[in-house]
Amino acid sequence: MSNKVELPDDDLKMSGAARNIFLIAGATGVLALVCSLALTLAGDAEARSLFQFSYLQNLMFCLSISIGALFFVIMQHLSRAGWSVAVRRIAEILMAALLPMSILILPILVLVLSGDSTLYKWNKPFEELDALLQGKVGYLNANFFVIRVAIYFIVWAIVARFFFKKSLEQDQTGNKELTLKMQAISAPSTLLFALTVTFAAVDLIMTLDAHWFSTMFGVYFFAGCMTSFFSTMILLTGYLQANGKLVKSITIEHYHDYGKYLFGFVFFWSYIAFSQYMLIWYASIPEETGWFDIRQNNGWEYISLMLIFFHFMVPFLWLITKKTRRRKPLLTAAAILLLIMHWIDLYWLIIPEYSHGASPHFGVIDLCNMLGILGIYIASLAKIASNCYLIPIQDPRLGESLAFENH
Amino acid sequence: MSKAVPEVIDTTQERLDERMPLVLGNNTYGSITDIVSHVAERREVPIAWYVAFGISASVMAMFFALIGYLIMTGTGVWGNQNPVFWGWPIVNFVFWVGIGHAGTLISAILFLFRQNWRTSINRFAEAMTIFAVVCAATFPGIHVGRMWGAYWLFPYPNTMDLWPNFRSPLLWDVFAVGTYALTSLMFWYMGLIPDLATFRDRAKGKIRQIAYGIFSLGWTGSARQWHRYEVAYMLMAALAAPLVLSVHTIVSFDFAVSQLPGWHTTIFPPYFVAGAIFSGFAMVVTLMVPARQWFGLKDIVTMRHLENMNKIILVTGSMVGYAYAMEFFIAWYGGNGYESFAFVNRMFGPYWWAYWIMVSCNVISPQLFWFKRMRTSIPLMFIVCIFVNVGMWFERFVITVTSLSRDFLPASWGYFAPTWTDLGMLIGSFGLFFTLFLLFCRFLPVVAMAEVKSVMPRKHSH
Repeated sequence: MSNKVELPDDDLKMSGAARNIFLIAGATGVLALVCSLALTLAGDAEARSLFQFSYLQNLMFCLSISIGALFFVIMQHLSRAGWSVAVRRIAEILMAALLPMSILILPILVLVLSGDSTLYKWNKPFEELDALLQGKVGYLNANFFVIRVAIYFIVWAIVARFFFKKSLEQDQTGNKELTLKMQAISAPSTLLFALTVTFAAVDLIMTLDAHWFSTMFGVYFFAGCMTSFFSTMILLTGYLQANGKLVKSITIEHYHDYGKYLFGFVFFWSYIAFSQYMLIWYASIPEETGWFDIRQNNGWEYISLMLIFFHFMVPFLWLITKKTRRRKPLLTAAAILLLIMHWIDLYWLIIPEYSHGASPHFGVIDLCNMLGILGIYIASLAKIASNCYLIPIQDPRLGESLAFENH
Repeated sequence: MSKAVPEVIDTTQERLDERMPLVLGNNTYGSITDIVSHVAERREVPIAWYVAFGISASVMAMFFALIGYLIMTGTGVWGNQNPVFWGWPIVNFVFWVGIGHAGTLISAILFLFRQNWRTSINRFAEAMTIFAVVCAATFPGIHVGRMWGAYWLFPYPNTMDLWPNFRSPLLWDVFAVGTYALTSLMFWYMGLIPDLATFRDRAKGKIRQIAYGIFSLGWTGSARQWHRYEVAYMLMAALAAPLVLSVHTIVSFDFAVSQLPGWHTTIFPPYFVAGAIFSGFAMVVTLMVPARQWFGLKDIVTMRHLENMNKIILVTGSMVGYAYAMEFFIAWYGGNGYESFAFVNRMFGPYWWAYWIMVSCNVISPQLFWFKRMRTSIPLMFIVCIFVNVGMWFERFVITVTSLSRDFLPASWGYFAPTWTDLGMLIGSFGLFFTLFLLFCRFLPVVAMAEVKSVMPRKHSH
């Protein structure tokens, strides 16, 4: 018996297309960031503040997709999954983008080290802090903050690099032992993942308002990572197939599973968001409700309502049936909606800390930052994808995945 | 010529070129039926069953006697006393609801995740779920004070113009637990129908024939019936999956909607759910280890099944550890003096022993399952799972009692001490649980035969 899987006659490499995407997205990204920076430097203090917040928001948006991908890859190895092998490389490419994207966190760390308190209000001299924040300086101080954030990014980079490198190595050598090796590492990776993602969410987003706290916050951020990741998977797979790649290896059965996961995580996100809100609303303790208060007034209430309707109700009802999950155009529509809503979710988490009660206002700087960071993200993905197969061609369970059917 | 499957293969070892069989030995569809049916059919019931049943039924009788004593005397027979008005009854309630989480997780969520190994253990776990929910529902039922009016909890038009207060999380519990009990029961019963029909067809005596005949609802096993059955199973699984989350979420709301330090924290809902699955699986392993031995089910419930359950225990146990850690971190980070006091008080206050029992049983002991040798050792997994059961009871004790006994006003602080009635009722509820369980083992198919056959290789089927 031969262990070699007969791959269908399929296009498995990005080839020239990746180069073009890299150049176009990269150029757009850099140009947009330069524009945004120029506008900021020409503008007043308000503009400089907005730049930082919207930079952070868009960076978190791209990172969250890759963080979701990292979790997905770890879970596939941990559960020895068969169905997902054919799509795992796409997730691995998303995951590998954590390395280049980690460079973009450096400006924020440098600003924090230089004593800038635009983003993080706790980063002021001790005597300027109120009593509550003074009590937290053991945790919230520039040096410790930078060390922690650096640790999260280094851990992600190491774990992502490990899984990506081993998977590529298997493409070359066909060594099956690598699968066992990745499986062994996947278990401790979950622990590292849980701790780093939780505290990254706490440090980078929750401490923007250092008075507010919620034990659920890390889980909330994680839920958003997963919805955005599965939405991105649907869009990326659709894009690749529309361009003649992997047309026969990835079937509607795989989309169906994406759809189930997306539905599941829409539900999970809603569950977490509801629980967090309901408990704070019900107990009505001022030190907790303040955070929601600024998100319920001055126009922010519409964004809050948008989240309820379009991050929960509409996609929930939309994806509840097999009929939408097994039709690519309908599934793609849900993916686009949820990706936009995840962006708005992060906008809702981060930007009110900038505007402090003022109405939401989406301006040119927001737009340029979005295009800039998204452009760089897409360019990184294209660069990574240009050097590898789009499917783990030597994975011992590839055959199972190619023949996979829901029933 | 087909090769015979070797008698002993270690399915806990992973092979990359093929999936491991879920059922071991040279079993055929027929032999699976024989093995499982034998448990309920054998004429000479082992003496051990009678002994076990005698003990459980006596303990259950004590439970009912104590409930009678409670009704005649009043809730003063418990240790519940100002300021700890929620004592052991609520601790026991949460404990038992938690135990009742593994069944639905296995039958619904693992089904949706295509985890075929669940077929060997789902019947067993679902039965356990229902009996645990029976025990759980008893406690709030007798805790309401005038329990003869407990049905007022249900909203129904009445001449007294009484209407439940829907803003109370305790009322949400009535619906959450009620829905859960009903759905679990229906799910369990529906799964039983094909197997009950098998029992009916094999029955020797008239009474058995009629009894199994009634409950198997005229099942013939036709293709049309199987088609309907599978559609219904899928729908039930999809309905039951959110229930796995909702029940313990609502139970956690009982605590978390309050303003009490140690109770009010946003991570409670998923933390309680993880804890419930954790304790539920520990109970399944605790019961499955002896059961597979006594009933000769080792080919069906293999070491791999036990190992998988132990892995779930490790995962959910670590989630519980994560929640403990987050609570502590935020208790400090939040800068609320009452909150941080509550947590320091848990660790070093008058109930420090309960807290450290909880941490060592729930967080430390399952960490042994990181090692394959540990999670495939029968004695060790049995001990760890007992520890987990104990630890999860103490978790609820720590949450309920430590926070209540030290509220905002030092003048009203108190120390909760249980009475002998409290202790008797906790033990008694185990009597109820085991009595139901032993009856289940004696009269019903302990393994879902039809489902196990569906995941066996077809090699032997013709």
